[in-house]
Amino acid sequence: MPLVGTRPTADFASGPLIRPGEEAPWTLSRVQILQVMYELEQGAMTSLLPPALHPTIPPTLVVTAWRVPESPAGPFVLAEAKVGCRSGARPRALSVRAFCDSEQARAALADRWGYPLEAAEIGFARRYDRCWVTVEAGGRVVLDAHLVDPEAISGNDIQYLATLNTARVEREGSVVPRLIQVDPEYQFHSADRGAPELLAFDGEAFGLPGAEPYWPVSASYAVADVAMPELRYLVDPAKPPLMAVERLPRTGS
Amino acid sequence: MPRPWGPTTEYEVYQNCLEQVKLADELGFDQVWAVEHHFLEEYSHCSAPEVFLTACAMVTKNIRIGRGIVVCVPEFNSPVKAAEVAATMDIVSGGRLEFGTGRSATWTELGGMGADPDETKKTWDEWVRVIPQMWTQERFGYQGRAFSMPQRAVLPKPLQKPHPPMWVAVTSPGTELDAADRGMGSLGLTFGGFAEQEKKIAEYRRRIKYCDPVGSFVNEQVNTVNFLFCHEDNEYGAKTGQRLAGTFNYLAEQLLAARQAYPTRSYPNLGLLPALRREATSAPEGQIPEGLCIGNPDRIVEVIKKWESVGVDRINFLLNAIETVPQEEVLASLRLFAKEVMPKFAEKPAKTAAAVGGA
Repeated sequence: MPLVGTRPTADFASGPLIRPGEEAPWTLSRVQILQVMYELEQGAMTSLLPPALHPTIPPTLVVTAWRVPESPAGPFVLAEAKVGCRSGARPRALSVRAFCDSEQARAALADRWGYPLEAAEIGFARRYDRCWVTVEAGGRVVLDAHLVDPEAISGNDIQYLATLNTARVEREGSVVPRLIQVDPEYQFHSADRGAPELLAFDGEAFGLPGAEPYWPVSASYAVADVAMPELRYLVDPAKPPLMAVERLPRTGS
Repeated sequence: MPRPWGPTTEYEVYQNCLEQVKLADELGFDQVWAVEHHFLEEYSHCSAPEVFLTACAMVTKNIRIGRGIVVCVPEFNSPVKAAEVAATMDIVSGGRLEFGTGRSATWTELGGMGADPDETKKTWDEWVRVIPQMWTQERFGYQGRAFSMPQRAVLPKPLQKPHPPMWVAVTSPGTELDAADRGMGSLGLTFGGFAEQEKKIAEYRRRIKYCDPVGSFVNEQVNTVNFLFCHEDNEYGAKTGQRLAGTFNYLAEQLLAARQAYPTRSYPNLGLLPALRREATSAPEGQIPEGLCIGNPDRIVEVIKKWESVGVDRINFLLNAIETVPQEEVLASLRLFAKEVMPKFAEKPAKTAAAVGGA
């Protein structure tokens, strides 16, 4: 059967504690989304993932940045570097640590969707010849990712992977690590594709020690309305893939 | 190819496949197909199907040899070499070659070979037009978009005249129409349910009447794909068959699809392959998915009759996945199928003879 992750589950024990409330759903209008994908050196194929996940073959790094002009927590920019994987048979991307430039947004995203966020200065820019995101944390640049020479495509040609955020939940009086599935819905206004360029990437900063992106795959930029999801699935990082997924009861309707 | 890979694992699996093909030939199965895949760990270690199929031809007498499929992308193959190899296979097999074409669907393969996903449909379209000319013209020269050559005799020529039947692997939605428009057989690689397939086949049949064939003749045939596990005990047969189907599908879902890595219109949005696999292989608790050829002979006869009624000419059976089913049980399943199921379709052999797919 397919390979599984070998990373110690202790590495997934320090995410934010989810505090789901009764807040209204979030629909984020005209979010600018930059995504850059690279293949990773295969030495880290299994060492970046917990036993609950299969690696993709080849292993992939998915850099995603959102510039959100308006949200219930105010405007913010979010930058993630995720590892492509499979939860059982489902395509997913694991986020161990990410960055956001707004304290209010960090708290809201962590509480509701388990985003494992830290503070950073994040630059997000779009020019006619390129689009890029830079993340500066702890006084150094930990990410500098670009899309070069954009050409228009249909938003329907872009497929975003659902994210698994490293977080914690309460279970029977204890706090336990869980990977939180976040699979927003996207309504595209425009989309571009271009050449990917990763000028700086610090795996340690994103909780991905040993991740070495070396082979460019693709880059896309889109403007979309993003409907943030109700949580439906959690993954226990310690369990084998076919036993790890936990379905949450639907709330609301 | 199941992990862990020992020094002889691949040898053993290839030997098992050869044994299955030899038996299938003796039992009267119609065709054997072998895939061309590259880099797909566990899922398929069959990167040189022309070699495996030549070995098949050497140990069989009647079964037709399906090269399924030649990846018509320059980073994978060359059209001249593909024509030459196919003609040679046709000769050494005594005129038993079926020639499948396609373009690959995973980033693992396309990226690994350095192919541009935007180009694959275009190069496939060019190759399927020039290859039959290489087979039928004494000398062939060409100035094209992705491929050009001065006039040369492409040798040898196939034994079958004018040339072997040509097929297209149908995975992406709409490719069955590409097959129809070019007068090629539809080599279905999805496990869609009856209703979905009936619509597609009807449209294929309608369109092919007005086709502009790329070859010297129209190959109006519809093959679909299925799993086979036949056992006297329906419950055991269904359970084993579902384990086989589930294992195969789980492995298939691990592949990095082209569009998951690279945004392109060339690989449509639907993700139809896994969707149809789920449709065909999921069923309410305790029930067997409607379209699968698993269970006892009576059930399988019923299922194949249903496939026949929706317009399928032939079924390619997947017999195993990472050796989930012991080889002796695979062989016993083939024997039982030949004894109890095939006679029910003996009156129309051209339309209903079952095929066997090399793993």
